[in-house]
Amino acid sequence: MFMRKRTLALAMAAVMGLTTACSGGSQSAQTTAAPTAAETTAKAAAESKGEESKAAEAEITEPVTIKFANYALLEAGYDAYWNQLLDEFKKQNPNITVELVTAPYGEIVNTVVNMAGGGDMVDLMYGELDWIPTMVEAGMAAPVGDVLSEELVADIYPNILDACKIDGEAYGVPMYVSPFLMYYNKDLFEKAGLDPNTPPTTYDEMLEIAPKLAALTTDDGNKVYAFGLTTASVPVSGACLTSSIHNFGGTVLDADGNLAIDQGFKDAVSMWKTLHDKGYNPENSKLKDLRNLFALGQLAMYYDQSWGFNGVKSINPDAADFIASAAPLKGGNGNGESVLQAGTLMVMNNGDARKAATAKLVDYILSEEKISQYFETVTPAYPSRQSMEDLEVVKNSAILAGAAGAVGNVKPVTFIPTLSDLNLEICTLAQAVTVSGTDVDKAIVDFETAAKGVIE
Amino acid sequence: MNKEKELVQLMEKKASIGRFHMTARERNDRVFAGALLLPSVLITVIFILVPVVDSVIKSFLNYKVKNIISGKPGEWNNFANYIKLFQNGKLGMAIVHTLLFVAAVVIAQFLLGMALALILNSDIRFTRFVRSIMMAPWVVPTIISGLIWMWLYQPQYGLLKYLIGLVTGGKVSDFAILNNPSTAMLGITIAALWKQIPLTTLLLVSGLTNVPGDLLEAATIDGAGSVKKFLYITVPSIMSVIKITVSMSIIENFKQFPLFWTMTGGGPDNATTTLAILSYREAFVSNNLGSGAAVTTVWMLLMIVVVFVYNRVFKDVDMN
Repeated sequence: MFMRKRTLALAMAAVMGLTTACSGGSQSAQTTAAPTAAETTAKAAAESKGEESKAAEAEITEPVTIKFANYALLEAGYDAYWNQLLDEFKKQNPNITVELVTAPYGEIVNTVVNMAGGGDMVDLMYGELDWIPTMVEAGMAAPVGDVLSEELVADIYPNILDACKIDGEAYGVPMYVSPFLMYYNKDLFEKAGLDPNTPPTTYDEMLEIAPKLAALTTDDGNKVYAFGLTTASVPVSGACLTSSIHNFGGTVLDADGNLAIDQGFKDAVSMWKTLHDKGYNPENSKLKDLRNLFALGQLAMYYDQSWGFNGVKSINPDAADFIASAAPLKGGNGNGESVLQAGTLMVMNNGDARKAATAKLVDYILSEEKISQYFETVTPAYPSRQSMEDLEVVKNSAILAGAAGAVGNVKPVTFIPTLSDLNLEICTLAQAVTVSGTDVDKAIVDFETAAKGVIE
Repeated sequence: MNKEKELVQLMEKKASIGRFHMTARERNDRVFAGALLLPSVLITVIFILVPVVDSVIKSFLNYKVKNIISGKPGEWNNFANYIKLFQNGKLGMAIVHTLLFVAAVVIAQFLLGMALALILNSDIRFTRFVRSIMMAPWVVPTIISGLIWMWLYQPQYGLLKYLIGLVTGGKVSDFAILNNPSTAMLGITIAALWKQIPLTTLLLVSGLTNVPGDLLEAATIDGAGSVKKFLYITVPSIMSVIKITVSMSIIENFKQFPLFWTMTGGGPDNATTTLAILSYREAFVSNNLGSGAAVTTVWMLLMIVVVFVYNRVFKDVDMN
């Protein structure tokens, strides 16, 4: 079994540096590591900046067809961007035909794996960072160094690239990154008599203001929930709950991939129960349910990835008027550490011609023009390339400003091949202490039994 | 005597010639029948028998996705897949949930389907119209059915929440059927019934149309009431249809996966984790195909036992 530790704080701090520099505010103290990371890699970035990758330079003289698996093409708010990008790429590279493979978010991995089982392997896949161990375990993902240009790989923040590594090899390049941050509704804060520019920074502070928010109703009389934390049975909910555990300084897995339940873990689970018992958290919700409620003004605060804003915006186009972000809350003895999420490109090796064409497409997707356009027109996030350190769209993002410090405050997650199933077990634990009303200690014991079966 | 002897010998000779001719014809018939059956047999063997045997074999192996892609065979793992399943406590829970779901849906489906079939087989108006539109839920893909019911059950603005609030005068304002471990299975059962009752009704209506009218008439003349006519004439007359309908329902609900995966994913707190969900999680979430095959093998054996018991129980129940 392979496993590796994702240590991202340093590189994230570098990204954080640029945003915090513009946003100012109280998070500046957390950015002290940023210049160090940026400086250590600045030379390499500067050298690579402006240089076209070897792959990009290579002319594709013969027609070649590559397959690109991308679930986002089926999702409103993302489809237009991707279709336009691929149309433009086709015009610039008439010899490269990009054949799309798509399926709903929850099914795309199986679709790609099944295709490969039938001897038809895609060349490129867009998905979650957490899918890398599955793709590597399946023997599909190729080391990015085998396919992509050295220049591009060298331009990715080193520790972000480290997050994609298994046994020292990177198997993906993130297009953008974000921690689980807290979105809140400024209008509801004002309505509750709270300062919309001073969101809570700890769980205790949140619990203090929650009654005022929970007492609100919408104009049409619907209940307002104070704080949303996804607990439904989907892997990304498990990742979000892991982030909540990190907020309390807790861990789920140690560096060797063994269960490491500690006081922070127990404190977090107790908090989930408290949120449920007080009626602050919508029961058993998926992230999309929380986005829906938030967009409709029925949820005051919730945890999401930065790109969750796109889901909110697709339901309520005026959401930008009331949405604001904040760093994840600190709980217990923790300091509000989070979990990093990334929209990641994973590559496969289908021979030299297809590798060259894939490298060209990845170069195009990760170009400054397209990434800027993505952040501007689709959703805000943080870039993964050092050469985009000064990206205006990120520096000027009002939505990301409040959570600027959070991106440098993430805690490593250990990659194991069954991470998705382990995440589902964490969801079951959350459901046990909430909707089932199980005692926290008993639920954790049950979780340990189930999780060991998943890990071993 | 000699003449009689000759006659007997002649008859025996003719008979033997007749037997030879019959055997040849039989052989031709058998070859022809075999030729007709061959495609079905081949398809059954290739697409059903071989995969089933293959799955059973893989349930004893350490077999993961990488084995498929690399073409490497799995390795024997000393029943580790089964040991893991029985040790982590999930298998028993999944079996109980599966059996409860199958029993609830099959019984409710039969009772409601029969009631609807009797109504549609009567002389009341608009039965033809109702018959034509009632198939709509059956035509809707199962995943879409799941999504429709999820919207109806939606805890904040779903129709069910609104109706419950209305009926209780606003006393119950947060009813969320799929979020409560004690009601989530009921929520999926209702969705399954909505989808499957139309076919059951249609099959039973087709059976009811073939109930002998003269028998019913005779019973009426003899003074039998509606209940007696139903129990002693109608039901026995359509018993073959009932047996097939219920068998189909048992099998359909044993392998029910899309509704569970779409609506609850096996939650909350494993309250709707059936063998189908467990198998999917082992095979396609953990990517452990060997372990998934072990669940599938247990699942298949359980289904065979249930169908076998059902057929034994109803073996002698017939009109004759």
